[in-house]
Amino acid sequence: MTDRRRINGPPSGTRPAVFASSLKSASGDATERPRRHRQPNELRKIFLKTGLIPSASGSAYLEYEPSASLAAARSSPQSLIPPSSALKLACTVHGPKPLPRSATFSPNLVLTTHVKYAPFAARQRKGHIRDASERDLGVHLETALRGVIVAERWPKSGLEITITILEAEDDRWWGDAPDSHDAPWGMMNVLAGCITAASAAIADARIDCLDLVAGGVAAIVSDDAVAEEGSSSTPKLMLDTDPAEHKSILSACVVAYMPARDEITEIWLKGDHSKASLGVDDSSLGHEALIDGAINAARGAHTVLVEAVLESAERYAGLSSSDS
Amino acid sequence: MASTLPTLAIPGQRLAPVSSYAAGPGTHVQNANIYASIAGPVLVNPASSKTAKSTLSVSRSPLRKAAPAASPSAPKSTAPGPSKPRYNTLPAVDSIVLARVTRVQKRQATVSILVVLDESASNNKSGPQPTTTTTTPTGGSSDNDNIEAILSSAANPENHSNSDELRFQALIRKEDVRAVEKDRVVMDEMFRVGDIVRGTVISLGDQSFYYLTTARNDLGVVMARSEAGNMMFPVSWKEMRDPVTGAAELRKVARPF
Repeated sequence: MTDRRRINGPPSGTRPAVFASSLKSASGDATERPRRHRQPNELRKIFLKTGLIPSASGSAYLEYEPSASLAAARSSPQSLIPPSSALKLACTVHGPKPLPRSATFSPNLVLTTHVKYAPFAARQRKGHIRDASERDLGVHLETALRGVIVAERWPKSGLEITITILEAEDDRWWGDAPDSHDAPWGMMNVLAGCITAASAAIADARIDCLDLVAGGVAAIVSDDAVAEEGSSSTPKLMLDTDPAEHKSILSACVVAYMPARDEITEIWLKGDHSKASLGVDDSSLGHEALIDGAINAARGAHTVLVEAVLESAERYAGLSSSDS
Repeated sequence: MASTLPTLAIPGQRLAPVSSYAAGPGTHVQNANIYASIAGPVLVNPASSKTAKSTLSVSRSPLRKAAPAASPSAPKSTAPGPSKPRYNTLPAVDSIVLARVTRVQKRQATVSILVVLDESASNNKSGPQPTTTTTTPTGGSSDNDNIEAILSSAANPENHSNSDELRFQALIRKEDVRAVEKDRVVMDEMFRVGDIVRGTVISLGDQSFYYLTTARNDLGVVMARSEAGNMMFPVSWKEMRDPVTGAAELRKVARPF
């Protein structure tokens, strides 16, 4: 009979978890956190293509360029564990189609969004039923898109947007111990990708939109190179952060941004950088700087989006063979 | 007017100020400027009168032979090629639809809308429309080939049960069947389950049904099978005949041409 009044230890002995980050490299080239090789304001390259799923009225596939460390690990594998991951997702748009019989009359388009991780998408296996974080992403995506779609042009009809995430961003480096700065940072990158891909798929489905909405992520990170030296860890603003590449992300922001109208339809800010000691060069490192950074990242994604949608329009109009 | 119009527009692209053009389908107006709201070729419909402005629109369907005045540099439009037209147009009031009868009751018939006929195809009746009523295709454009494919699959009794939830449902009430002798209409003598009906939308209706009417000479049953299962041909405005058995059946027939 166990003692229910006290917190008991486990019946048998346990061993503390050993994280790769705390291991002193014996051979010299032990596992190391991937490093960011990009400039702070440089985005990863984005692959975006529309119209890949013929049965849907609109579809898009989005992929981020693998980080340099991942590309190196793929060409000459040292470990079975990939150092970081790159976002890959597919988006389908079904509709406009009639509302289900039970639904009430709606003079507008009824938007439903589903975001689902494939079971193999993340390092932790995902179930087949959508969990809380996936539903959360769906709600964020819906708010981002609702402000863009001209809903009153589609009375009595529904639009279903389904996103399957084939490879998700990491929330932190896999070798790291969980720490106080932990948060699902990877979800924010995923959301930005979802917004961009959904925007392309909606344009591919010829649903009226005010603008092509693009998602962008910016984060304030404390640079680990400086932090290891000890004294001053200067927080820096980085665009399109890969969470695996940073020791601690203080705060991050994702926006859905319409460049032609200079409007934001969705904003998600997470984290706290108020206690961070601000560097001299980044004197204005506040929320506004973070949001501006995310907007700049969204502008970058928008240029890719424009190309993908133009390609879709050319194919659709039968101009694909012309020299454009 | 100084800026030229682009051949292809993407959502959010500024096309022209409202002072020089009127906004048509596929566009929206913000801050006295016309912006594109879908991706596609930009069309300019010339004004009907001198005082009116030309209408600027973004086409939802691929370019047709009637090349827009704005883009004379688009000769590829004559070959629509493999790009299949997709009908994600919604039924609106006054639009002409083709629908299949799914249920006939004493006071109304339930139909499910198969195709919303393109406005440009129904306005300039240059021949392709009767192809829907005859069994011999007269080689219309690719749109009408597609409609035939939809209809022939829909008229096949094997396909009746599937994907009705994916289609817009509509009602033809007893008093909307024909314009004369409305009180003597017997629904069983007007429609049968499986008939293909051409009708026009009179109302968006309630939460689940649109309302259609066939109270015009060119509206009514366009394709029907007899009791024996043969495709019938129309002989009068209220009768169709089976070519094999010779039996006549009553329908509210659409004028075939």
